Amino acid sequence: MKKTVNLTINGRSVTAEVEPRTHLADFLRDDQRLTGTHLGCEHGVCGACTVIMDGEPVRSCINFAVACDGTDVRTIEDFDDDELMAHLRQAFTEEHGLQCGYCTPGMLIMARDIIARLPDADESRIRLELSGNLCRCTGYVGIVRAIRRVLAERKEVASV
Amino acid sequence: MKAAKFDYERPADLDGALRLLGGGGDVYAKVLAGGQSLGPMLNLRLAQPGLLVDVTRIPELTRVEDDGEALVLGACVTHAMIEDGKVPDVTGGALPSVAGAIAYRGVRNRGTIGGSVAHADPAADWPTALSALGAEAVVRGPSGSRTVPVSEFIVGVFETVMGEDEILEAIRIPKLSADARWGYYKVCRKPGEFADAIGAVLVDAEHSVHRLVIGATNAAPVTIADAAEVLGGNGVPGASFDLDAARRLVDGADTNLDDMERHIHAVALKRAVEQVAK
Amino acid sequence: MSTKGIGARLTRKEDGRYMRGRGNFVGDMAMSGLKEVAFLRSPVAHAKIEGIEIPDAIRARVFHNADMKGVRPMRPAASLPGFKQSDFPALAADKVRYVGEMIAACVADTRAEAEDLVEQIIVDFDELPVLANIVDAQKPGATLIHEEWGDNVFVVTSRDDDIDAVAKTAPVKVTRTYDMARQTMNPMEGAGCLAYWDERMGQLVLYSSTQAPHLIRTGLAEHLELEQRQVRVIAPDVGGGFGYKCIMQPEELAVAWLAIKLGHPVRWVQDRREHLVACANSRQHHYQVTAYADEKGRILATDVEVTVDVGAYSVWPFTAVLEASMAGGNLAGPYGLEVCRYKTFSVATNKPPFIPYRGVARAGVCFATELTVDAIAREIGREPHEVRFENLVTPDMMPYTNILNKHLDSGDYPECLRRAVDGIGLEAVRERQAKGEEDGRMVGVGIGMFTEQTAHGTSVFSGFGIPLIPGFEQAKCRVTPDGGLEIYIGVHSHGQGMETTMAQVANEILGIDPDLITVVHGDTGSSPYSTGSYASRAAVMAGGAISRTCKVLAERLGIIGAHLLQCGHHEVEVRDGKVVGPRGEVSIADVAKIWYLNPDQLPDDADPGGLEATGGYKPKVDTGSFTYSAHAAVVAVDVEIGAVELLDYVVVEDCGTMINPLVVEGQTFGGTAQGIGTGLYEESPYDDNGQPLASTFMDYIMPGATEVPDIRMVHMETPSPYTDHGIKGAGETAAIAPAAAIANAVNDALRGLGAEINETPMSPRRVLAALAGARKAAE
Ligand SMILES: Cc1cc2nc3c(=O)[nH]c(=O)nc-3n(C[C@H](O)[C@H](O)[C@H](O)COP(=O)(O)OP(=O)(O)OC[C@H]3O[C@@H](n4cnc5c(N)ncnc54)[C@H](O)[C@@H]3O)c2cc1C
Ligand code: FES
Ligand code: FES
Repeated sequence: MKKTVNLTINGRSVTAEVEPRTHLADFLRDDQRLTGTHLGCEHGVCGACTVIMDGEPVRSCINFAVACDGTDVRTIEDFDDDELMAHLRQAFTEEHGLQCGYCTPGMLIMARDIIARLPDADESRIRLELSGNLCRCTGYVGIVRAIRRVLAERKEVASV
Repeated sequence: MKAAKFDYERPADLDGALRLLGGGGDVYAKVLAGGQSLGPMLNLRLAQPGLLVDVTRIPELTRVEDDGEALVLGACVTHAMIEDGKVPDVTGGALPSVAGAIAYRGVRNRGTIGGSVAHADPAADWPTALSALGAEAVVRGPSGSRTVPVSEFIVGVFETVMGEDEILEAIRIPKLSADARWGYYKVCRKPGEFADAIGAVLVDAEHSVHRLVIGATNAAPVTIADAAEVLGGNGVPGASFDLDAARRLVDGADTNLDDMERHIHAVALKRAVEQVAK
Repeated sequence: MSTKGIGARLTRKEDGRYMRGRGNFVGDMAMSGLKEVAFLRSPVAHAKIEGIEIPDAIRARVFHNADMKGVRPMRPAASLPGFKQSDFPALAADKVRYVGEMIAACVADTRAEAEDLVEQIIVDFDELPVLANIVDAQKPGATLIHEEWGDNVFVVTSRDDDIDAVAKTAPVKVTRTYDMARQTMNPMEGAGCLAYWDERMGQLVLYSSTQAPHLIRTGLAEHLELEQRQVRVIAPDVGGGFGYKCIMQPEELAVAWLAIKLGHPVRWVQDRREHLVACANSRQHHYQVTAYADEKGRILATDVEVTVDVGAYSVWPFTAVLEASMAGGNLAGPYGLEVCRYKTFSVATNKPPFIPYRGVARAGVCFATELTVDAIAREIGREPHEVRFENLVTPDMMPYTNILNKHLDSGDYPECLRRAVDGIGLEAVRERQAKGEEDGRMVGVGIGMFTEQTAHGTSVFSGFGIPLIPGFEQAKCRVTPDGGLEIYIGVHSHGQGMETTMAQVANEILGIDPDLITVVHGDTGSSPYSTGSYASRAAVMAGGAISRTCKVLAERLGIIGAHLLQCGHHEVEVRDGKVVGPRGEVSIADVAKIWYLNPDQLPDDADPGGLEATGGYKPKVDTGSFTYSAHAAVVAVDVEIGAVELLDYVVVEDCGTMINPLVVEGQTFGGTAQGIGTGLYEESPYDDNGQPLASTFMDYIMPGATEVPDIRMVHMETPSPYTDHGIKGAGETAAIAPAAAIANAVNDALRGLGAEINETPMSPRRVLAALAGARKAAE
């Protein structure tokens, strides 16, 4: 019953045989060995599994790999050389935006999307946009401060 | 928490999809749109269909059209497209504001308006909002196409008028006049949560529309199509609409709610009306 | 002095791998021949198992209790008088006692296929009456969860002060009932473990998402009847613990057994539904409190009954006694209470067994006592903080042993409260309240205070008489040939940042840059024994052990260094990564090179133990060092729909010397967020049939970024007189007070309406019910 999918993962084109019931997160983690994408609930609520699909954040636990045929998927492992992600990582570590690190890949991907999509977001907007990503460790304080900081620093650079 | 086995097809056109849905013999086929409601149910094994028919690449279901009187959104238009204004807005901001408050961005990027209506979760946003906007569901089945008002399309909790061999093709949203007023108030425990209560109101005097909807009940959304009187006629709408008035409407509706829930629904309705009264 | 040692706000060494998605959690591992496990769990709360039907085609891949011969059920003892032991087998034997209890293990190539197997098993249940709450469980003639007990009470503890004299004369008396809802801890990574038998070492190797690898090793060996040396437990990256992972899980036992039985690696990764259904295991406390006070609010006596719904079994090793007996022992809080009578009941019900959750028992105690303080304040018409000042232990009383035998070591509790009152801007809130809100919401302000006995040691746990009592903590430290340092500790870090903070402690002594220090934790194969990371003990205990051990190394480095510097070894000092003498200095790297690679240049008096040492540590007293704190919250209550919004939140905390303020703040923010969950959102309700009603995150509401405000933190820093460097624990503390502070704020807001809420979570429904109750009472 396996089906063939063709998709791009972190810039590589991948062709694979998948069981239709395999969700994208399991496909990435088990078949592609990209284990940076985490599973926190597998029912769409926690955001730990967030990846970028065709430029937008999506939840890989409730999208089946077979249905992602033809898409372009980026996981946390693909952002090693990304300038904006580097900036965010610096801010995350300085503001102590992570503890156990389990929610972190999903958080960073979501945070990066917020910064790119909403350069004028204020604190309450950041919190709203982040409300679909659960963290049990940090109380979100460091995460929100880190995002605010990156937004502010980028604005400063832009205005110079 | 992994889904039970199912088969998967992605037909290129509506006829192909209808064939797959109708012709399976004893295979239980189900439509897959954004998967944002079906995905969790499959992972939890609450749904165990034999075949998923992915309709997201069917042109009729992704189309966006202006037919003069209404905006026609293919069923697979996503919440995020509406939120971002990637489809025209004919409702003075109602559509994008409702879309933007559904779930979370990651869900909105995949979840579809049609999936939401077809799923008929009473706590979801589109069933109530579209009922209030007077939208229609365009349904395609083996014997052709029919159009049903969204307010009649949903008949109960997770229940619609659609047969298992039918597909929701599009949603038709009538254009509002320039001075139409829209009120929408959702009570939920936190952003992105399904609603505990929704009140929606549309006053479009030019089109003689005074519509209230009580949503997120334990039944289908309750549409009060003829609310001109309770809203105070064509003057300043809602000026005399207080909590008691709202409560009377809620008490009189078929909501299957307990006393405290009816109170909260009355508050939601009152607050929605306050938005149009402003 | 070092800028990277104790007290430095150092960013964390561990962050990099997590931020790049290169952490290594149990679910991330790959191994050839690995198979996945899914468990068949009981769908009913209380039943006899009459039979298990397994299709022949899958029989070889399904295992149940009868297959697990020789594996002992968990049956932890406790020495408290009257404590009743329970048999808790990894897979249910003849009876199931809660929904989610494991009945069978299914093994397949993938988790999905293992779940397919689960669906094919049919269990024949003979259902028994269900005890879904403490009231039913305590009724005479109630069904027995453990037949041989005669009733459903694990243990009763009490203290019997004579309060009659006070009761007769006290001018003020308040009586209240409090309830804290059952909760699920929900680390973002659930539990999980992977086991295989290592033929070369003759060892069972278990990778587990645990806080306490050594403890699991001891537990596995005992229950599988292996020798301890035949078991190695490794905790890799662990996605949060919060107490849930500080016990031996029945799944760990089952998976370990499967690996031995099957001869290939097996893994189980808990999913969220399993966690929510089978692990609703904390916080459900019920209190009946009567407090007697004088006109100024000074509490003269309290009379308390605590009942904890501890679920069906005792967990290994902490047992069902921990929660209620700690509740009893903490009733005095930060106050100089003189008379206290209490009785605690640990009641068995058909729910998952209790596991110690961050702030064990004290979140409930703090809720009950702090709401009582506010009730007294309302009764006598004073500001709640003024009533607290009447009662707090003052600095001149320190160290102070309270009536419940808690040895409060140091600190300034009134100052802590003052800073909280100032920090939250009490006066401004009172003015705002007088003005009223434009949107009609009611604003309120509330405070919650507590002390936390951190790193409580041997005597406290030996008082419970449980199977495993913490003692000394050891660290092994090794200077590498190039002058770096490896630190091996038995505690495990799963968010607390110990890869950084423990390096800071070593840096404080040796001056080696933390970047050149590796902290190896969580592997029984390489680290000294430790009972694990819990009870806010790791920083105090492992920190102390590292400090002591590094001092031993400093001494040995000094001897070699002095020889190289041609001076006496009492003339040298180790600092900044160097051995510094009167006329010159030599780097630790150079000394290390001599020890390892050029021993020909060593002095005769070089310590043969070399540049590697294991040292141990225990604070001067083992009654713990007391961290204390005041939380203050401002809320706005929408009285029409019962919604509570947190407008502001301040934490003042004194956890002694901070190794790293950044990490302390992180622990505080995270703990506070969990406490906000306790106060406002989180609840694992059960129906009368013992069915859990919150089995997904759709039903179990976790606080998100919109529910937790930008918490403001104020530090106080009173070093403990009893610990090395004055460190006190900080891990659990912040989860204790939020429910109390928020409830006091809500009650402050609702005061004018005559409504009061005394239960968690303060959901819209409960707030509206309180308001309706007040309206009724007024009529
Ligand atoms: C965490 C989370 C939070 C959410 N919060 C909200 C919220 O606050 N408000 C809200 O409104 N929604 C919420 N949702 C649901 C979300 O909006 C879904 O996108 C939507 O309900 C379903 O759309 P879908 O395209 O994903 O449909 P799918 O999940 O693919 O399908 C849903 C159902 O509809 C059927 N179906 C779908 N499309 C068609 C069609 N064209 N014709 C016939 N049948 C069809 C499917 O067979 C299935 O039974 C939430 C979801 C998640 C995961
Ligand atoms: S794992 Fe996908 S949203 Fe939680
Ligand atoms: S850092 Fe642990 S869940 Fe976010």
